[in-house]
Amino acid sequence: MELTNYGITLRRLTEDKIEMVRQWRNDPKIQQYMEFRDYITPEMQAAWFKRIDNDNNYYFIIVYEGKEIGLINIKDIDYDQKTGEPGIFIYDDDCLDSDVALRASLCMGDFIWDVLNLESLYIHVLRDNTRAIKYNLLRGYKLAENQELVQNQLYTLTVEDAKNNKRMNQFKSIFNK
Amino acid sequence: MIIMELNEFVAHFAEQFEETDASVFTPETKYHDLEEWSSLIGLSIIAMVDDEYDVLIKGNDVKNSVTIEDLFNIVKERV
Repeated sequence: MELTNYGITLRRLTEDKIEMVRQWRNDPKIQQYMEFRDYITPEMQAAWFKRIDNDNNYYFIIVYEGKEIGLINIKDIDYDQKTGEPGIFIYDDDCLDSDVALRASLCMGDFIWDVLNLESLYIHVLRDNTRAIKYNLLRGYKLAENQELVQNQLYTLTVEDAKNNKRMNQFKSIFNK
Repeated sequence: MIIMELNEFVAHFAEQFEETDASVFTPETKYHDLEEWSSLIGLSIIAMVDDEYDVLIKGNDVKNSVTIEDLFNIVKERV
């Protein structure tokens, strides 16, 4: 499966790519931002892939200008509640401090809302990670109730807020010019 | 005339920052060195250029430019 829009391609993770992802994931520059920070062995990676290679989890390699640069996903999809938890990391340093993550997120968003037909997303963000909070507020996420004093705060995004987000719709237009 | 256009661009650029005083910004400002700089502000710059100049710049334009004037010159070429 391959999704292409906004100048980016998302290619569904296949078994032949999990070793590359394992090496990205074990790199301290990525590992430091992950909840699970243990070293991942090839056996652990293979077991993980077996758990996520199904319709409840979609992991895509992000391809920008022909180069594989990171990973984006939605996991733990609940089709009854029409919700799931997205995530992304950019491995290629050349694509940090750029618009690539947003291009990938918008492409993934279209898949989530229009193909999977989900109605909301949720994420957790450490309360002192102000940059991530600002970025997710820009995306339309809202702090959930009773989260003000929580360390790892829950944010949610509804399909209505995502689709009516003028700034994001502007970026969709810019990225497709 | 070009100087006035450049000053206007610098002012629009400065408006994307919340905490950095506007007086800090000049055409020679190396914006990646500013403490408040982030990829999020880079996205705001892309949107500002679209709003104000109807010009498309990419994240790589923002990433690879060093000073505000460098970015201004890219925008000016595409107007």
